Amino acid sequence: MIERLVALVVLAASGVYLAAALPLPRGTAARPGPGFFPLAVGVFGATVALVWVVATFRRAPMGLGVATIPAEARWRVISTATVLVGFCALLPWTGYPLAAFLFASLVLRGLGARWTAALAIGLVSAVASYYFFGVLLEVPMPPGLFLG
Amino acid sequence: MGPLEGLVYGFSVALTPTNLFACFLGVLVGTIVGILPGIGPVGAMALLLPSTFALQPATALIMLAGIYYGSMYGGSTTSILVNVPGEAASVVTAIDGYQMTKNGRAGAALAVAAVGSFVAGSIGVVGIVLASSWLADQALRFGPPEYFALTLAGLALLSRLSGGSVIHSFIMVAIGLALGTVGMDTISAIRRFTFGSTQLSQGIELVPVIMGLYGVAEVLLIAESGLKKAHIASVRLRELLPTRTEWKQSGWPIARGSVVGFFTGLIPGPAAVLSTFISYTLERKVSKTPERFGKGAIEGVAGPEAANNGATAGAMVPLLSLGIPFSPATAILLGALIITGIQPGPLLISQRPEVFWGVVASMYIGNIFLLILNLPLVGVFVSVLRLPQHILATLVLLLCLVGAYSLNNSQLDLWVLVAFGTFGYGLRKLAIDPSPLVVALVLGPLMEKTLRQALFMERGNLLAVVGRPLTLTLLLLGALALAAPLLARLVLNRRPSRASLPTAAP
Repeated sequence: MIERLVALVVLAASGVYLAAALPLPRGTAARPGPGFFPLAVGVFGATVALVWVVATFRRAPMGLGVATIPAEARWRVISTATVLVGFCALLPWTGYPLAAFLFASLVLRGLGARWTAALAIGLVSAVASYYFFGVLLEVPMPPGLFLG
Repeated sequence: MGPLEGLVYGFSVALTPTNLFACFLGVLVGTIVGILPGIGPVGAMALLLPSTFALQPATALIMLAGIYYGSMYGGSTTSILVNVPGEAASVVTAIDGYQMTKNGRAGAALAVAAVGSFVAGSIGVVGIVLASSWLADQALRFGPPEYFALTLAGLALLSRLSGGSVIHSFIMVAIGLALGTVGMDTISAIRRFTFGSTQLSQGIELVPVIMGLYGVAEVLLIAESGLKKAHIASVRLRELLPTRTEWKQSGWPIARGSVVGFFTGLIPGPAAVLSTFISYTLERKVSKTPERFGKGAIEGVAGPEAANNGATAGAMVPLLSLGIPFSPATAILLGALIITGIQPGPLLISQRPEVFWGVVASMYIGNIFLLILNLPLVGVFVSVLRLPQHILATLVLLLCLVGAYSLNNSQLDLWVLVAFGTFGYGLRKLAIDPSPLVVALVLGPLMEKTLRQALFMERGNLLAVVGRPLTLTLLLLGALALAAPLLARLVLNRRPSRASLPTAAP
């Protein structure tokens, strides 16, 4: 069932790609333009996606994927992914040190660490990684509104 | 420069203090990531790629290559001691390796695995020297049609060998090729699929895609499986010496594994993994006592361990001689070459001999480092497994985030990382291998450029493009790889009917 859904999403995405490739100038056979290769890729992708969709509808649904994951494990995955998204969204505003501290603490807590341990390890890893990358290796980390 | 002269020059490059340290660091990190289940060599190489930007090209490549082949050594340690393969190429080693641990022969298994890896790595270096020089000479005659055919045939072979269904592999190839078209067209400077974003006009970076698919996705899988504690067998130094019989039993499997591995490495696809299965099957077939396999046969450790190291050496040949990577790990090495301003291809050997020969010679030195590191210090490395998984997972994620951001100081790379991390997790759940996507993303722009050049050259005559002898041979090879199972089925279906003919006759 999940695979069927994924196949349909891939088919829709390949349709969108193909539609976006169509207006690009294709040129001629002797002078292929920037739209020539994307069109070929789009047709290939849409064809394979269609074959996949048909294949998933022709065979009995398999017990693949999310449905077989226990609720607790699913929560750990979703919480980790959500914290990742949160880090990306927060970074320009809070800057690296604070975003990294929040990120590390929340991921650790989500994976089962106690609050005190999560906060302590989060603080150490945020400070250490900022010092190593930002100060020693001079990677320009966003300072955010507080430090910037 | 002849092979011997080149090797001597390579050693003079690889033995400089900076390059020696880079080599040591690479194989050390490789051993650690090989031991740790979760982050594999590809993820680790992607993580360390940004830190190589400031290094000399040869130094950067020496370090990254060290991670690649070093991980094969580390992977065997956990397979043998804990029955937990650190990476996919060590799965086969666990079958007999762990049985040997249960039989009290863990030390012998580890020693044979390390020596087998060393021998295969050393033979592989000779193979690289001979094959790369020859192939690079041949490749100088390649034009755009041949390069196009090579990339197309490579992707076809990769799709067939990646495991799982061909449809899944083709979907991955299509996604990779489509991602490769995002950004400014190098010939016409027209922006494609950028949706008005200036950042997207530079294209989608390879590193966040790989970090996401391999690093973040692995951490999400760790998060799903929960925290597990490994029971680790302890090994004393004096237990590391195999008996005379064990050495005798391991000699030929190591030799066969080295050769099988090197040649498997030349083929696009998961060569290291594939080579271990081929070697294991071969050893069981040639053995006079095949019933010992699965119960702690030392040949089942020696052959596959030599094979996966031989395969990493073999995989370097198309990269160094043609500038074409056929696996995600070599794709990162190609990325490192390009970032450091080197044009990969057949001219690499003659134009940048310090890179080619330096890397080749460093592989020999790296193999010696690995032998020294992996035998006496095996206990230290295994203790890495005692690091709590939730701390390790958090650190890996932080490194992925910083690594992706540091590429261009771009927020977009972070979003790409997260998107491909969750996508990669989904792929694992659907048992789809993401490596065709990575290779297609790297080969896509080359494929497009060479196809357009070839059509321009032949004035739009596609038949003239595919009709050149080498182009046709390569395309037929690719087609044959795709049609192989169908042909095999046809042949197998015919056999019973032939067999039934005599009985049907009066």
